[in-house]
Amino acid sequence: MTCVPERVSGFVDGALAASERVELEAHVAACGACAEQAEAEREIRRRLEALPSVELPPGLEARVRRRLRRRRFGALRWALPLAASLAFLVLWARGSPAVVARELAFDHVKCFRKGRVPAKVLTSDALRVRGWFSAQGTRMPLLPDAAARLEVVGARYCPLPDGSFVPHVYYVGDGGRRISLFVLDRRVRLADGYRTTFLGETVHMLRAGGLTVGLVGEHAADVDAFRRRFASTTALRLSELAPAPHGH
Amino acid sequence: MDREDRFEADALPHMRSLFGTAYRMTGNRHDAEDLVQETYLRAYRGFDRFEPGTDIRAWLFTILYRTRTDAFRRKGRSPRTVELADEGGPAVPPPQDALSAEGDLSRALSRIPETFRAAVVLRDVEEFSYDEIARILGIPIGTVMSRIHRGRGLLRQALTGAGGAQ
Repeated sequence: MTCVPERVSGFVDGALAASERVELEAHVAACGACAEQAEAEREIRRRLEALPSVELPPGLEARVRRRLRRRRFGALRWALPLAASLAFLVLWARGSPAVVARELAFDHVKCFRKGRVPAKVLTSDALRVRGWFSAQGTRMPLLPDAAARLEVVGARYCPLPDGSFVPHVYYVGDGGRRISLFVLDRRVRLADGYRTTFLGETVHMLRAGGLTVGLVGEHAADVDAFRRRFASTTALRLSELAPAPHGH
Repeated sequence: MDREDRFEADALPHMRSLFGTAYRMTGNRHDAEDLVQETYLRAYRGFDRFEPGTDIRAWLFTILYRTRTDAFRRKGRSPRTVELADEGGPAVPPPQDALSAEGDLSRALSRIPETFRAAVVLRDVEEFSYDEIARILGIPIGTVMSRIHRGRGLLRQALTGAGGAQ
């Protein structure tokens, strides 16, 4: 075979395939020039391998670690204020009557658009509805069986955009009249109630015994009549439950 | 152990070896430090692409070499021959005659073009296989072989010129 110096390097470094290695071995044994090259390359390699490693500059590892940490937490530098702002926004929205009223109106429309309301409990007995929520550990105000010629038909938990689930009670009357009653176990910034119209629905929110109640219906008159009935039911039951005043 | 801790535990132990090669490539400790720091930052950013169980040392050297060539590309020039500064002493001072021979060898190495120097350093100092060198430098094995051959030849000439051939 003819001399191929590059392959002699590969031979010296054991980088050739088995058949090629055997071939080169025979050639190097027979060729003075290639044998000399192989020996010279081994010598160079031996000397390079014996070179002491370069000393690591003091503090380099610490500097690298610092820069890695800065990169690692660099993302958090803007992520934390952003998360805080988002959390604040969510908290603000949770307490904003305008936001909550829109969420309730949207859910009311969505649920009643279906042929059959998505209820977990179907009953015309308001006490059963209240009992069903109590069994799940949810506090509820006293509910009327019927008001403004609308009757309770069922209830479920409604998922709100902030991830909470709130009681949603359905009332239905003749002529396709419908009212939703939502109960929020949190403070919404209401002064003397809050009223708005959204998606063609009237929303009225009020406080009842530490809870926030939202009423949603297409006809403002129904919502008002229902609100009065609801208020009197709550007041009546609360006065029944209150201890009798002591006479003098 | 999270991603960051895993990176530090797996990658940082190779710093000495990376710095040695960076120093032999750049010719001075300051540039070598910058190269090593940049290599680690890039490696950290791309750590998700590293396949666990494969050789992290070879992966780090691939990034080191790419970082080096990218720096040249940005500056619009190609790797050049550098003279090693005298500051790059070994960790433990060897005997005087050995020191002189090592000094000659290091200086001779620094005088050959970086293209060949990189191949020789990866093979003979860092002891990577031809396959690994091909991956690190992004070239075919045949090219690795010829660069090592040329590099060792140039090194012998440089040593002869420096009067350090033995």
